[in-house]
Amino acid sequence: MALLEIRGLYKTFGHGHGAVPAVRGVDLDLERGETVGLVGESGCGKTTLGRILVGLTTPTDGKIVFDGEPLDGRLSRPEVRRRIQMVFQHPAQSLNRRMKVSTTLAEPLHLLAKADDETIKDRIDETLRLVGLDAGFLDRRPRQMSGGQQQRIAIARALVPDPDIVVLDEPTSSLDQSVRGRIIALLRSIQEQRDVSYLFISHDLSTVRRIADRVAVMYLGRIVEEAPTEQIFEDPRHPYTKALLSAVPTMDLDDRKQRIILPGETPSPSELPGGCSFQDRCPLVHDRCRREQPQLETVAAGRRVECFAVAPDAPQRPAG
Amino acid sequence: MSMTGPLPGGPGAENPHEPGDDFAVTELSAQAVRLPLWRRKPLLIVGAVILAAYVVLAIVGPFVVDDPRATDPANFLQSPSADNLFGTDKFGRDVFARAVHATRLDISVGLIIAVSAMILGSVIGVVSGYFGGWVDETLMRFTDIILAFPGFVLALVLVAAIGNSTLNVTIAVTVAYIPYFIRLTRAQVLAERELEYVDGARLAGNGPWRIAFRHVMPNSLGPSFVQATLVAGWAILTVAGLAFLGVGIRPPTAEWGVMVAEGAPDIITGQWWTALFPGGMIVLAAMAFQFIGDELGAEEFV
Amino acid sequence: MSLLDVTGLTVGIRHSPLDILRDVEFSVERGEVVGLVGESGSGKTMASLAIMGLLPPGIELRSGSVRIDGTEYVDQESGRVRRTAGQMTMIFQHPRAALNPTMRVGRQISRVLELNQDLHRGAAREEAIGMLARVGIPGAARVARAFPHQLSGGMCQRVMIAMALACKPEVLIADEPTTALDVTIQAQIFDLINELVDETGTGVLFITHDLGAIAEMCDRVTVLYGGQVMEQGSLRALFTEPRHPYTRFLFEAVEREVDLRVEERGVNFALTGCRFGHRCPSAHPACVEFPPLVEVGPDHRSACFLHAEAATGGVVDGSA
Repeated sequence: MALLEIRGLYKTFGHGHGAVPAVRGVDLDLERGETVGLVGESGCGKTTLGRILVGLTTPTDGKIVFDGEPLDGRLSRPEVRRRIQMVFQHPAQSLNRRMKVSTTLAEPLHLLAKADDETIKDRIDETLRLVGLDAGFLDRRPRQMSGGQQQRIAIARALVPDPDIVVLDEPTSSLDQSVRGRIIALLRSIQEQRDVSYLFISHDLSTVRRIADRVAVMYLGRIVEEAPTEQIFEDPRHPYTKALLSAVPTMDLDDRKQRIILPGETPSPSELPGGCSFQDRCPLVHDRCRREQPQLETVAAGRRVECFAVAPDAPQRPAG
Repeated sequence: MSMTGPLPGGPGAENPHEPGDDFAVTELSAQAVRLPLWRRKPLLIVGAVILAAYVVLAIVGPFVVDDPRATDPANFLQSPSADNLFGTDKFGRDVFARAVHATRLDISVGLIIAVSAMILGSVIGVVSGYFGGWVDETLMRFTDIILAFPGFVLALVLVAAIGNSTLNVTIAVTVAYIPYFIRLTRAQVLAERELEYVDGARLAGNGPWRIAFRHVMPNSLGPSFVQATLVAGWAILTVAGLAFLGVGIRPPTAEWGVMVAEGAPDIITGQWWTALFPGGMIVLAAMAFQFIGDELGAEEFV
Repeated sequence: MSLLDVTGLTVGIRHSPLDILRDVEFSVERGEVVGLVGESGSGKTMASLAIMGLLPPGIELRSGSVRIDGTEYVDQESGRVRRTAGQMTMIFQHPRAALNPTMRVGRQISRVLELNQDLHRGAAREEAIGMLARVGIPGAARVARAFPHQLSGGMCQRVMIAMALACKPEVLIADEPTTALDVTIQAQIFDLINELVDETGTGVLFITHDLGAIAEMCDRVTVLYGGQVMEQGSLRALFTEPRHPYTRFLFEAVEREVDLRVEERGVNFALTGCRFGHRCPSAHPACVEFPPLVEVGPDHRSACFLHAEAATGGVVDGSA
């Protein structure tokens, strides 16, 4: 049984005519100690999904089972919050600019773990070391730190209550390219030491490739493809995944692949056509796509794709 | 394009490298040669000096000068001299002594009004802005009602209703200025509550009230401090104005407005000092607060 | 004679002895895309503003020459850059923010035409709709009547490109044009820019921090750090064999999660010599002087004493 099981998750903002369905039926598992990369472009619902998991938004429908226990309506309770934490996109903004680092780090322990001062002090020192900063940072305020350092503090704040899962929403997108690598390396080393699971949300495929064990690709509120990381990058199946990967610029001058340019733009979530939401841009579209919504099917071990045009792999041997 | 906001440290301080910041200027400014404060914001210094002088006068003065109520009928309406720096009024009272005592009263009242209005207004503004919904709607309608009246007129009406002791006048004028702070703080709060640190605070276990007062409010008070300095000056004008009209603080209390009211008729007969000195002190005080408030609020261009 | 020739560009803060940009030089030929790459704070945006004559108040041009098709645009006496009257135009990073929110987009384009091309209102409107169609906007006549907030980010960027190209400029400056856009939309915009360059022969100065985008789009590249040119040359020369220590640092940091053992510090503008000096692994005493750009290969120059001394046969250790 997975650490986190999401089944049939829906989130619609507003109601009636102007309703925006941000998440439209997501099934996802997260194992202990694993990193799942959640990728997609703006409007795909990945950020909303992350926020639901940490209780910042309530889902419209669906079940979430965490460590064997169903969590409906309890995601914002302190007991759960202590175990599912989040790191945000803009480090300077995600820290209270008037608070010293020591206060920022102590707060989760006070409020979520009800720890005593002695424990708090030890835990803070330990966590600071874990994120590669020295005790001198305790008295600093955010504006006295660089972007990379601020993000380390934000990561420390998420880790201080010793969570099982950390949701990271575009944690490196606001950082310089030369700093990103170090933060990714830090996150990996922390995962080895603490056996924490990550849900790594990002639009930046190259970053996701460096940290994720599995990748789920989202489009307009649904997961369209899910597979182990290298398989997604080496052998994408869903037409959207293929276009997404081909659009990513690479520094390799000899890798001048033919770019798949998708026509048009992502449709507005409140004006979705019936059937597959990718129909107006898909190179493989046919009649069935306009009538029916495809479902995520398992096409190989650990691989799921949601597309009528993608056939399952020939079975190799009976699933064991 | 302005380079505003707090600039990082001074030369030699840690150099924060702002991600996504295309302008090298913010870093550069930290190391650039900066003109001294008195050259960049001269009016701020002028205002601060004047205010400091008033504060010293208010604290020390009353111990040093004569009794402001001591009448000396034989010496009425004497022009300024070595004995009576500001001359004497129609009751023979030393105008300077009265002006000094009035300084203590007016400056204190001005500051109290500004601080009280700021505290009460900010708290209401935070609650209104952070919690929104019907609470916000209700509070905003009350604020609108208060703001519908010109401040002075409102203070006048309130004083007429509750009486014109010094305390009542203070209360009335405070009420007239609270809405400024409600609006100002609420606007800041509306912006602040969308920022990521509010979500971060939620995840750290803060409940909504803690977030509102412990996280959002301190970050929302900046403009209110600036507004408070301006309000202090306006409050002094309002209090003096009410006294001048006879509906505020009453004689024989030494208050600048009272003194101007009593001394105004003397001008016709040529005794200018009984009204001019207190009037001048009102103007100077209001001006000092205005300078400070303006310069604090102004953006700093490199 | 180059289409755009910038030499000796030095920019600083008024009343301060420190320079934001020092001796920056680059050129753009007809039909060529030249990249200006650097991390944030490198001064790349400042350089583009300087040559457009759009420096913010308090920032001054201290010296330099900007020649478009041989004509000098810098008034040496006043230090001002003359209006380029449509010969050189610019597009910005946040498309919606760069458009007037209260004016219909068609009108914004036609106004540019009225002012710079002396067209009547009717003719300008026709031309504007034509431009919108040319940049790949379907239903151009209808979109022309829309306001910026009614359009997506990708559409707004196309509008901005249409506006910039309406005057048929010699040079187009694109400052992080796709950084705020989804990657599939970025692919579309890159495609569009390449098409337009091929069709009109406009030279493009492409400013970005994204090395992948540089590899996709540019023919030649200039690397900037701390307001100083570090390395310059053809794309292939620079990417296959980067010579400058900073360029190599940048490439490694982006490609691998290497712990570069270099402290994360900002730029030190007080350094009179090489601006990379305080972070450079190969720094040596000569670096307190300002390094000149020297040839290190065909169409490949580097501003580093390692190469300067090698060129003159001096003994240098630093084969990093």
